This record gives sequence, C-alpha cells and structure tokens, in this order.
Amino acid sequence: MLFADFYREMRFLSKQRYIVLFLSAVFALSAFAVWSGLHETKLQQATIERLLEKDSVDRENVLAGQGDYGSAAYYSFHVTYSEPSSLAFAAMGQRDTFPWKHRIRMLALEGQIYETDAENPELSLFGRFDFAFIVSVLLPIFVILLLHDLRSGEKEAGRYDLLVASAKKQHKLWLSRALVITTGLALAMLVPLLVGAAITQAPLAKTVAMVLITLAHLLFWVVVTVIAGRMMLARGQNSPRIASALLGVWLLATVIVPVVSDTLINQSITGPNGGEVVLTQREAVNGAWDQPYSVTWDEFLKTHPEWADYTDMESSFDWKWYYGFQQAGDQHAAELSKAYRDTIVRKDVAAGKASLMSPAMLTQRLMSSLASTDISASLAYEQDVRDFHASLRQFYYPLLFKGGEFELEQLADMPLYQQRLSN
Amino acid sequence: MSIIKSVMFDEWRYWRRTKVATTVILIGIALALASVIVNSIEVRQASAERTELQRISEQTFFDQPDRHPHRMVHYGHYVFRTPSPLSIIEPGVDAFTGTAMFLEGHQQNTAMFSEQRQSSGLTRFSSLSPAFMLQVLVPLMLILVGYSCVTREREAGTLHVMITQGVKVRDILAGKFFSLAGSGMLMLAPLAIASLWAGVHGESLAITASFVLGYVVYILVWSAIVLWGSTISSRSNASFAILIALWVVLCILVPRIASTTAASLEPSPGKLETDFSVVEELRALGDGHNASDPAYEKLKQDLLSQYGVDDVADLPMNFRGVVLTYSEKKLTDVLNKYAEARMDEELSQAEIARQFGWLSPMVSMRTFSMMIAGTNLENHHRFLREAEDLRFDFVQALNHAHEHDLDYHTDINRYVNDDTAKAARVDASHWQVLSSFDFAPESAQFRLSHSLRYALQLLLWAGLMLALIKRASRGVM
Repeated sequence: MLFADFYREMRFLSKQRYIVLFLSAVFALSAFAVWSGLHETKLQQATIERLLEKDSVDRENVLAGQGDYGSAAYYSFHVTYSEPSSLAFAAMGQRDTFPWKHRIRMLALEGQIYETDAENPELSLFGRFDFAFIVSVLLPIFVILLLHDLRSGEKEAGRYDLLVASAKKQHKLWLSRALVITTGLALAMLVPLLVGAAITQAPLAKTVAMVLITLAHLLFWVVVTVIAGRMMLARGQNSPRIASALLGVWLLATVIVPVVSDTLINQSITGPNGGEVVLTQREAVNGAWDQPYSVTWDEFLKTHPEWADYTDMESSFDWKWYYGFQQAGDQHAAELSKAYRDTIVRKDVAAGKASLMSPAMLTQRLMSSLASTDISASLAYEQDVRDFHASLRQFYYPLLFKGGEFELEQLADMPLYQQRLSN
Repeated sequence: MSIIKSVMFDEWRYWRRTKVATTVILIGIALALASVIVNSIEVRQASAERTELQRISEQTFFDQPDRHPHRMVHYGHYVFRTPSPLSIIEPGVDAFTGTAMFLEGHQQNTAMFSEQRQSSGLTRFSSLSPAFMLQVLVPLMLILVGYSCVTREREAGTLHVMITQGVKVRDILAGKFFSLAGSGMLMLAPLAIASLWAGVHGESLAITASFVLGYVVYILVWSAIVLWGSTISSRSNASFAILIALWVVLCILVPRIASTTAASLEPSPGKLETDFSVVEELRALGDGHNASDPAYEKLKQDLLSQYGVDDVADLPMNFRGVVLTYSEKKLTDVLNKYAEARMDEELSQAEIARQFGWLSPMVSMRTFSMMIAGTNLENHHRFLREAEDLRFDFVQALNHAHEHDLDYHTDINRYVNDDTAKAARVDASHWQVLSSFDFAPESAQFRLSHSLRYALQLLLWAGLMLALIKRASRGVM
C-alpha cells in the first residue's frame, strides 16, 4: 500500500521540473566534489611516490660521498609521509593545513618537526569543496528548500483542502511525498560517493559508515523540517516564514555554535606557544658549544646510560658529542613540546564535545575521522615521524660511539620510514 | 523624491510591524558587533604577543657571549609576523600562514605555527571575522528581510493600485532599494567604526576609506540582487527560493569551487619536492664549510694572484670567511630562484581562484578586502621576502666579521684544544649587525593599485544588477 503511494508520488514529482532540476544540480555538485577529491588524492599519492624515489637516489648519492658516520647522518635526509586513506577523497579534512609530508635528518627533532610544507594559504582559506562539505553544510539547505513547503506550498496553491479531503489517510500522503524527495536527494548525493569508493576500493565497513552518517544527517533535517513546517503552518505562517526560521536553525548549527565554541575553547584551553618550544630547543642546542662537555653528557646519559663509558673525545669536536647535544636539546624541550601537543589534543577533545551541539560539525568530524584526515590522524603521523627519528638515533649511536672505520655497507641496515596508519 | 522616501518609510514601517525583519536586522548588527569586538581583542593580543617575542628574540641574539662568528650563523634568529591594522576586520590568509620563522645560514625555512594548526578545527567553514559576517551572512540577512519587498505588494494588489495612481515603477523600486540598502548599512556600521579604529592605529586614510567604500558597494550589489529577485517573481515563495538558491551559489559554492578548480588546474609540487632540485644545484656549488672544496679553486687562485701570495694562509683576510661569504651569496641566489618560482606558482593558483570574482560578487569582495587590508597571499609573500632579506644581511655581516676579524690560523686550529677554541672567537659587539624586524603590509599605493581589478569586478556587478533591475522594471505590470 505504501509502495503504491510512493510510486504515485514518484510519478507526480518526476514531472515537477523544479524538483528534477534541483536534484540534478545536487548530483552534479556531489559528482564534482568526488571527482576533485579523487584527483587530489591521486596527486598526493603521486607526489609521495616521486618524493620517495628522489629521496632514495639522493640519499645514496650523499652517503657515497661521506667519510665518516657523523657526516653521513648530518647530510642525509629522510622523507616521511602520510598517505591519503582510501576515503580521503570524500573528506579532505585538515590535510591542507596539517602537513602530510616532511623531510627530517638526525639533528634535534624539535627544530625540524614544525616546518610546514603547507598548501597555498589563499586556497585553504576558501576551503575545499569535498563530499563532507556538501553533506555537513549544504545538505540542510537542500532539505529546507525542498521540504519546507511540503504542506504550506499546497495550501498556498489552493490544493491543500482538496488533497486532504481526497487522501484516505492524509499523513500517508505527506509521508510518501517526503520519502520520495528524501530518497531522491540521498541518491543524488550518495551515488557519486559510492562510485568514488569503488574506484579507490575503500573498505566496505567504512564506506557503509560514511553512507549512514550522510543518511542520519539527512534524516535529522528532514524530521526537523517536516515538523517545523507542520507546526508553523498550524500557526498560520507562510512558506518563506517557515524556511526563514529553518535557515535560522541552520545558521545556529553551522555558524554560531562552531564559532562561539571555537572562541571559548581558544580562551579556556591554553598551552605553550609554538615559538617557545623552538626557542627553548635552540638555546639548549646552541648553548652546548659554550658549556663544558660534561653538561651535554650528563643530560645525554640520563636517557642513554649504555654509552657512559664511551664519552671520551680525541679533539674538541667529535660527532658523538655533536649528536649528544642534539639529543640533549630535544630532551630540554620535551616537556614543552609535549604540553604543546597536549594542548592541541585537549582542544580537539573539547571540539568533539562542542560538535554534539552542532549536527553539521558532528557530521564533518565523524567523516574526517573515518577518512583519517582529522587532527588525531595528523598527530598520529607526527608521532610516526618522532618514532622514526628515534629509530635513526638508535641506528647511528653505536656507529658513532664505538668508533671504527667508515664502511658504507654498515649503512645498509638504516631504518626506513614506514607509515603505521592503516586504512 | 518624496515618493521614493515614502515608499522607503512604508517598507520600514512594515518591517517594524511584522517583527521578523527587525529581528533579522538586530541579529545581523549583534553578530557584526560581536565579531568586531572579539576579533579586535584577539588580534591585539596576538600583535602584543608577537611584538614581545620579536623583542625577546632580538635581545637574546645581542646577549650572546663572545663566539666564533659562524656559530652565530647557525644560532640563527627568529622573526614573527605582526598582524596588519585592518586584520581586525579582514584576517584573510593570516590564520593559515605561519606566524614565526627561523632564520639561519645556508637555508630558507618555512613559516611555522599557523593559527589554524593550533585551533579547534571547528572554523573551517565559518569564522568569527567581521569579513565573513559581512561577505556571507549579511547577504543572507538582506534576503530574509527583503525577498517579499515587491512580491508582497503584488500579491496584495497594492502594486497595481500604486501604478494606476500614477506612481512611477522606478520610484517604487528605488524606494524599496534604499530601504534594503539602509538596513545593510546598519549591519555595516560596526565595520566602519572598526575601520576608523584601524585608521587610528596607523592605517592610511585612503586605505580605510576605500575599504569601507568597497563594502558599501558590496551591500548595494546585494540589495539590488534581492530587489531584482523580488521584482521578477510573481509570488513571495518563488522569490524566496530563487534568492536563497542564488545566495548558496554565490556565497558558498563558487568560492569553494574556485579554490578546488585552482588546485586541480595548477597543482603545486610543494617546497619539499623542489628542495630536491635545490639540493642538486647546491651540491654543484660546493659546501661553504669546507674551504678546500674543489668548487672554490678558482676563487682561491684569483685571490692568490690578486695579492701575489702562494698560500691562503698569507692572505690579508681569513680565507674561510671569504669562502663562506662567497658560497652564501651563490646559495642564496639559487634558493631565491626556487622560492620566487614557488611564490609565482602560488600566485597563479590564487589568480585562477580570483577570476571567479566575475562569477560571484562574494569572491571579488573577498579578494578586494584582503588586498586592501594587506592580509592576502601577496602580503604573506612579502613577509617571506623581508625575512629572507634580513636573513641574508645578518649572515653576510657575520661572514664579514669571520673574514676580517678572525685570524686564519686561529680559525683552522680551533678544535685543537679548549684554549684554541677560546681564541677562535670574536667579540660579542659584532652581534649588533642584526637589524630589527618590523613587518608592515605593502604600501597603501601598492595595495590600492593592485586592488583596482577587483574593484572593477565589484563595479561590474553593480552595473549588471542595475541593468537587470531596469529590465525587470519594464515587466512589473
């Protein structure tokens, strides 16, 4: 029975030029968003591939020309990267402001890790047009435009009473009409997403989750719009009034709540300024040149007691001392650096709570979390870089401290960066 | 004239009676005011913080003890970008660009610590800046206030009555237009006051005046769009739907499509990737730390023959310093070549995005606003260039000290023991070579002349709307 209603409404609405045009436009927008997301993902992957290729050639060349392990470590760089996940095309998230590629060497890490090879800031400011944006920001407006005059539109066209009188059960009439429009809207948005997911072979579970988030957000706005439309019509309001009120709700959810929470979060959660971290690190590293060697060694041996018997130096410069104070410099800044990252995490957690008040933000956050493009994914990448840097040190310290002639073969086991994050 | 006025007052009276419009306008004013206040406070805080960090950074440099001059080259220096006065209204790209930069010998670093990276990540679509309020939300408010300004009269039949009584269509439309524009100006007022405030804080009059003027034109354009939408529609429902759809397209879709298109059409390889080419070229130049690098053989021979000596040790200056000065110059040329190419790339990406100003007044307004406020990409590049100039100057000044104030023999024996290391130092007074960094946006003249094109885009929109309304007015009956 419901199916018959559904079918009837579908035939009726498919003859409404306005609705068909609208849904085609939504489909085109979603297709464009998915296409550009896929394009961007492909560009990023290609960039990573090129970087890796150049990186290994470059390092081989550099290493071949060195005469000691200290210079080998000093002159060889290592590319690290965070590959876009298979769903990144749908939600590019923070990947344009947080770096996803980095080149480091065995010097003090705190002096290198904040370098940012960011995207063009003017483009970041405008923001990207990705699938997550369509669903979180535009979808409510689509729903409002399509459904706010579900009843009032008929009333204003003078058909309302006739329709209500002729329908056997009137709520069925509105229900099936809303259902047809909602289904059309969902298909217009989701078909491009599914095609994209098929192309990148995204995991089924995550793709389904992405679809469910979209549907949940859609359903939320359909319910709000239909209820508001019914209630306001009962109070004698016309269609534009109903839509204005709904746009007010949209404004509240998409602009006011995020902006106010952001301001509150920034005022209440504070931590060390990034500048303080790097300044501390620099003072510690450079100060070592003017201080007795014992200062460096004391700090270094706190974390690496196994080299206590190897700190004698033949001249006033020795690479092991040089890397020793690089390590000591990082240790000096470690607490500040941790506090700096903790602040970001705390802000992110607070933002997660705030987003419960804003369906738009919640949708956006859930999607970028699924696509591993959120703040925690970028912090996880930073941790990967830190771990890799630590493994470089573990590799070089025995070579530096135990002395011995320089042999290129010894460097064959040098650790390689590997992305831990899976998708 | 009096008819226009009475149409305008009638419209306002209607707004007061129905309360919806009044509510919307009050919300608009409150939002604009709140954003101006909060933003001003935040910018002033950031400005004070960075000025202080800059002062500390310079002081620490001066306070360094006697050292080997090249140690100071690696010790380096930090510069901080202070916000421009008008960024209290138009923060532009400031939140997305790094605010601090480490300057040292032999390399150019990137700007670190953008505010966006340290934020909650909630403000990627919206922001509390007055610019966002004015560019995106005020048009929406104008639509909510005025979508029915003509259709209402038409539906009630009063439009017909007025015209048959001999009121000119032009006068009716003008009255409606001024009533809309007037409400827009109310929401613009906080911005105008904040611009005056920026004027007090050192922004030139020509800049603040054209800034406010740009926004006035923008509001007029949107008032005209609303009037047009209402004039061509037979019913309020239709004008509402048309105008909201237009707003979504012009204020939300086009800007994002612009940036996505620019990034797709002109992909930029990024600094990391060009760094490989840089390194390749640099390797051919030789390593300045190693004065016996074959790359400096010619330099050495030239100097030896110029002073008629056989050994670099007999030169009247420190040869190691000579090599460092020479190689830093060569290296900087290469670095700048790539840096400039990269900035050109970014600029041409931005240019593509800015072309969308022909398709949306919001894009042209935003570009104009950032250009005038000195918070756009060009200004970020200016920061990079000025920081680079400072870097090169102090590094070369230190290399000069290395060349002339540090004996060659003392220098090459510095690692023998602690005493020789102590001897191979220069007096701390040499650190005074660092000049102070005081970043200011491009000159008023530069900003004005470079914003002409975007002013033209805006004016074109104004002209287009005028023509459209004129055409629509013929079909009013």
